[in-house]
Amino acid sequence: MKTERVSEDSLILQITIGLLFPFMLLFGFYIIVNGHYTPGGGFQGGGILASLFIARYVIFPLEDTDSEVLHSLQRVFLAAIMLVPLFFLFTGVVAQYPAWQKHYLTLMDILIGVQVGFGLGVAVLRFAFFQGSGQTWHL
Amino acid sequence: MRVTMSAILILAAFLAVILLQAQHGETLPPTLYENITVSFEQDTSSKNAIAAILLNYRMYDTMFEALILLTAIIGMQQFLPRKVDMEGDSKGSIEEDVHEN
Repeated sequence: MKTERVSEDSLILQITIGLLFPFMLLFGFYIIVNGHYTPGGGFQGGGILASLFIARYVIFPLEDTDSEVLHSLQRVFLAAIMLVPLFFLFTGVVAQYPAWQKHYLTLMDILIGVQVGFGLGVAVLRFAFFQGSGQTWHL
Repeated sequence: MRVTMSAILILAAFLAVILLQAQHGETLPPTLYENITVSFEQDTSSKNAIAAILLNYRMYDTMFEALILLTAIIGMQQFLPRKVDMEGDSKGSIEEDVHEN
């Protein structure tokens, strides 16, 4: 079955997304790191980070990103999300030393953002390559 | 007839709830609201009240939200096939697996 891949030949799309790619990364981390000053935070910035995977899929629809690796990275970050408040927030360390509170908020925002980014990236890639194969699947 | 009766019943229940709320219109003192909006900045040193609630006051909520995302991804990894599974006679290979087990 021959599938038309317009985007692989489209120079306009490649150059535009290639130019936008670092700015998307920067914007995602800007929203994540400024989560405790401006509207935004981990989940929103993670959604923007996941759009990097979508942009890469639009230009090069190659199945070379192993989604298992992304998924295990997501699990590692989730463990960090569970462990950091356990040791620093629930024990009262952060409440005792107010200078640490901003660092704690930034750390938690970064952890949540990267975790959500990897998770949505896995979801987008798996659905894209499943739908793109054009086959049906029977359990 | 049955549809009309059930529609009338639903409407009556809706009106009854509204009437009950109108009769017992008590106003509670906004204790928790004032507590959080006044003191969130010195409690958590965050300029953003939502970040203060999400990352300090309601930390369990955020932790298990992240867990829900991981659960969704695990389910998707289980039920969507990879490219390796789609190649060849996928249905036959699955039946072989069933017989082996």
